[in-house]
Amino acid sequence: MKSSSQTADPPGGADPIDGAAPAEAGSLAGRSPGQLMWRRFRRDRTGMVSACVVIVFFLLALLAPLISRLYGKDPYTTYGLDRPGLLNEFFYPVKPNGGIDGEFWFGVEPQLGRDVFTQLLYGIRTSLLIATAVTVLCLITGVVVGVTAGYLGGRTDYLLSRFIDLLLAFPAQLSFVAFTPVVYALFVSPEKETPTALRVITLITVMWALGWMGLARLLRGQVLSLREREFIEAAKVTGASPWRIIRKELLPNLWTPILVQSTLMLPTFVTTEAGLSFLGVGIVEPTPDWGRMFATGARHYQNDITYMFFPGIAMVIFVVAFNLLGDSVRDAFDPKTKR
Amino acid sequence: MRRGRDRLSDPSRPPYRRLYRKIRDAMLRFLVRRSLGAMVIILLISAITFFLFFAVPSEPAQLACGKNCDPDAIRIINHNLGLDDPVPVQYWHYLVGIFAGRDFDIGHCSAPCLGYSFRNDQPVWETILDRYPTTLSLAVGGTVVFLVVGVSIGMIAAARRGTFADKFLSSLSLVGNSMQIYFVGTIALWLLVDSWGVLDRPEYVPVTQDPVGWFSGMLLPWLVLSIIFIANYSRMTRSLMIEQLDEDHVRTARAKGMSHRTVFFRYAWRGAIAPIVTLVGIDMGSLFGGAMVTEFTFTLHGLGRLAVDSVTQKDLPMLMGVMLFSCTAIVIANIIVDALYAVIDPRVRLA
Amino acid sequence: MTSSRRHRTRLGAVALAAGALVLSACSSGGGGGSDDGPERTTDKNRASNYSLGTAADSTGPAAPVPGAKKGGTINVLQRDAFDHLDPAQIYYSDALTVQLLYNRSLTTYKVGANGRVTVVGDLATDTGKSSDGGRTWTYTLKDGLKFEDGSPITSADVRQSVERLYASFANDGPQYIPQWLSGDGQSFRKALPDGPYKGKHLPKSVLDTPDEKTIVFHFKAPHADTPYAVAMPNIGAVPAAPGKDTQQRYDSHPVSSGPYKIGTLKPGKSLTLVRNDQWDPKTDAVRHQYPDRYDISFGVQEPDSSRRLLADRGSDRQGMSFSNAVTLETGPSVLKDASTKSRTFNEIQPYVDYMAINMDRIKDKKVRQALAYAMPNGQILGQFGGARAGQVAGNLLAPSAAGWKDTDPFGKKKFPAGDTDTARKLLKEAGKEGQEIVYAYPNTTEYQNVSVVVTKALRKAGFTVQKKEIDSNNYATEISKVDNTFDIYRASWGADWPVASTVVPPLFDSRVLSDGSQNYWHLRNTAVDRDIDRINKITDVKQASAEWVTLADRILTEDVPAVPIFYNRLWSIWGSGIGGVKYHSVYGSADPSDAYVK
Repeated sequence: MKSSSQTADPPGGADPIDGAAPAEAGSLAGRSPGQLMWRRFRRDRTGMVSACVVIVFFLLALLAPLISRLYGKDPYTTYGLDRPGLLNEFFYPVKPNGGIDGEFWFGVEPQLGRDVFTQLLYGIRTSLLIATAVTVLCLITGVVVGVTAGYLGGRTDYLLSRFIDLLLAFPAQLSFVAFTPVVYALFVSPEKETPTALRVITLITVMWALGWMGLARLLRGQVLSLREREFIEAAKVTGASPWRIIRKELLPNLWTPILVQSTLMLPTFVTTEAGLSFLGVGIVEPTPDWGRMFATGARHYQNDITYMFFPGIAMVIFVVAFNLLGDSVRDAFDPKTKR
Repeated sequence: MRRGRDRLSDPSRPPYRRLYRKIRDAMLRFLVRRSLGAMVIILLISAITFFLFFAVPSEPAQLACGKNCDPDAIRIINHNLGLDDPVPVQYWHYLVGIFAGRDFDIGHCSAPCLGYSFRNDQPVWETILDRYPTTLSLAVGGTVVFLVVGVSIGMIAAARRGTFADKFLSSLSLVGNSMQIYFVGTIALWLLVDSWGVLDRPEYVPVTQDPVGWFSGMLLPWLVLSIIFIANYSRMTRSLMIEQLDEDHVRTARAKGMSHRTVFFRYAWRGAIAPIVTLVGIDMGSLFGGAMVTEFTFTLHGLGRLAVDSVTQKDLPMLMGVMLFSCTAIVIANIIVDALYAVIDPRVRLA
Repeated sequence: MTSSRRHRTRLGAVALAAGALVLSACSSGGGGGSDDGPERTTDKNRASNYSLGTAADSTGPAAPVPGAKKGGTINVLQRDAFDHLDPAQIYYSDALTVQLLYNRSLTTYKVGANGRVTVVGDLATDTGKSSDGGRTWTYTLKDGLKFEDGSPITSADVRQSVERLYASFANDGPQYIPQWLSGDGQSFRKALPDGPYKGKHLPKSVLDTPDEKTIVFHFKAPHADTPYAVAMPNIGAVPAAPGKDTQQRYDSHPVSSGPYKIGTLKPGKSLTLVRNDQWDPKTDAVRHQYPDRYDISFGVQEPDSSRRLLADRGSDRQGMSFSNAVTLETGPSVLKDASTKSRTFNEIQPYVDYMAINMDRIKDKKVRQALAYAMPNGQILGQFGGARAGQVAGNLLAPSAAGWKDTDPFGKKKFPAGDTDTARKLLKEAGKEGQEIVYAYPNTTEYQNVSVVVTKALRKAGFTVQKKEIDSNNYATEISKVDNTFDIYRASWGADWPVASTVVPPLFDSRVLSDGSQNYWHLRNTAVDRDIDRINKITDVKQASAEWVTLADRILTEDVPAVPIFYNRLWSIWGSGIGGVKYHSVYGSADPSDAYVK
């Protein structure tokens, strides 16, 4: 949402320099816009640091099984229940600070006595998987719908735009909460265990269904203005097929908003997914989940506040890093918007 | 163009009186048109929601049936609730009920009839009205806090552009923006309520009953809720103000020797106000629909909580009602914002 | 719905053996292991604490509570809104408790501070006189009884309260009396299909009101436990005068016969009870009228109510809860603060949590035994807060059952995590290693945690587990379907009064088995049925009680229809500004009858 105001101006202002680049100006400096962007980005120290942090998070998520094997714990074993002395009579960690010690780096979970460190690792893994999937789906949908509406214009544009308006009118968070059980019920079989995958797919579907419109609307606007430009006209005159025009002429000019949007979308989906789990409509036990850790933490905060800090601080770092990364990416693409 | 605006907004001059009336008419036409559009949107949303909910196999009669329940009883309840009709017919009855009221087995349900809860047979409309003050208090109070704090921070940052204060405030708002209510809220509860006892435990007391209790009960939720919004406003205010300060008319004003303060508040601020109003409208609209996570974190019983509860309890009429109510709130908020926008900035045509 | 929520377990049905309450003294002490638990010796819910009162016991006014004074408001915090206020429909412990304040039944329980429970006449002058070998029961109303509108309570009003139970809307409450009068199951409704609403009444040979003060029940069979059955709230007084009994709508404003009446009801949100000035303390042996009003608010989750009552600030100083328990979230803080001890109690409730085994699907007894051994009772209880939320159960009956013995055939107390080795061995003997178990549980936070420990323990013992999450609202309905497709599921039951006759027949008689019945395990054992019939005929209550206990133990070891998990406890806390709160051991809740504002 908020980025739309910030990224809306580039096609108008920056295009003479950037937009024309792929077609003609490439030969001048011998550098593609991608290379230019990369050079600019590399000079941005904040951007590099936050990129590293983001990469670390993804690596942690990817390598969670390996890390937990090296660490010697898994997120499913109820250490505190199986081993006396870890949990007290109310099933809270006996040791101070949530039971942190050399063995359990982040302490043990209240009630079930699982290892917090591996819970968090695997929780991040679950959440990132969902958020990434939703982001990718939204990007694809947003690009397809936005470009179609913008390029074809006319009645198609009108219908698609009204459809987007309609979906945007749904109260987002409420709809996620309300429709998750609906979609879930469509998948569930009456007997047997419902695989976690189905839950994940449900969450992805719901978030995707109401998550792509912002990007589509933004891209539509950009395509609409690009369509009138000379180089597109030129391509049309030379008899290029619409597909070619979209691929070769339009898309290269849309990379900036797409990339910037995706750096904004991903953390939003991570927090949305966490919010759903916090409200009790997300991923359920025993699958580790970042958001459910907040629900657990909030439930036990009076007796074990330490537990809350691990998922909490991890999420703040993650979102800050992603936001900074988004800013840097935008700056790198669009030197003009830099303050 | 810009200079014209100042004269235009002065209706006391005769030649502009007609123009003023024209604007008012345009405004009226705008409101009518937008309201019609809004009705269509709300109708569509309600239809989609209704069909989605009722597409799910569930046995709502079971909920209403009680313990000594047999298939006959279920059939009767299904009939009484009209659940044995086809879904489109049910939807039609639902719509009619909203405008004309509806007769149920339990009694007549008058005009804005959103049906009865499957769970406790309570009228949906009254339940929503009952929960609404909490949500309203949360939304209004939260908005005041984030608006005042956010805009002030943004203005300070703009006024001291490039200084340490600017950078500090900017990074502060960035971190604030990355906070999650379920995290900050819990930590704040723990620190401010449980450990230090500085603030009261959040609870909703009707303002009419005990204004002080209302204020102290809502203070923490307001503060926490506003943290995540403040960043947006401070960032936006800052960049808008900087932009405005660079505008020709503002520079001219400064060149004419007007005081820094006058320039800042009279000229630059006026230019920045419109986009901020837009954002406030959008945010308030969504808050009116219920801030679920905030209400959950602080165990307040507003619309958001009602929505989540009715989801977990499969209370479809209640959920439908809340959904419709929040959609309406959002759509109305949008219309008001657009209208206000036109009032603040007459360059915007009401078209 | 019912059994998925703790503390809202429906009280048991079908009772028999009467004067049962003069029972073999059985100390309920016991309970496993750890010395961190609450002081068990103080448990009030023991069968030995129950007795039938005399006419003198039934005469008002109730003895004044030392230190009590009039005035003030008591604020009651409740998790769920009462699902009914109409006494005909009430069957949950929270609503059973609140009705004590505005509804009087023929008899009621007098709960002493020391935990002694005496059944006394309430509207009636005594606990009833039986004749015709226990088939006929006669009750005489006290003088000076009035409804809240000042009209006198007569036998016609009592008849109204009984006859309206025949109407089709009255389907949530207990149904002993109409069943005893007119036939089992739902067949009794045929005797008076429209209730009293179309001018018809039960014949005098069934229910007679010879004069304004006398009610006579003519049952089809002897029922010596009538004094308890007429203590249920639906055998009281509902105005028979035209227009007063509004059928379904009576639920929102029942006419009071007790010390308080309905002030305002905001459904799902709050209920206010105000003084009923027509109530005469001289007619009431149990209730007081100390506070001016009760403000009851709903939707206060247990962690919140306990947190607020512990904090003891503002209006919460005059706060209490009938059924919300101190949860594990606040438990440690409650214990830390020594000053709170005087405003809490922790007592055992009549409810038992079971893990039901679907015997239609798990036919091999060895597999059921393996399940019983493997069940991690201690860990399950831990998810609710450990020793203060309950105590690990060794057998099918609650310690409050008459003649209860502390048996533990599957070593549940010794192995809090389950006896994995024995279970594995049994499974191997049965040749069913890797046996698939479909485990159904309600989708609440606690039960999701429970599902983690149960799954883990069963897998360890060599089972394959299919977890099946069920929407908590439909849970009770789903698991009580005879053709359900689950193997194990949590079920719960509480006796209406502390005799196993209110437990064994409804749970284990194959003849009650139907959709919605409490034979959750689908036990079909004709030998058990025969024994139930045999024990039902035993007139010596002490002997019958012992037989019930023996039978229950035999069912557990020979049929293994369920694994007993734990006996529930209620840990209640109230504000420092009120006194007189006591434990109602029959309803398993905090009793406000003696409560006052300091």
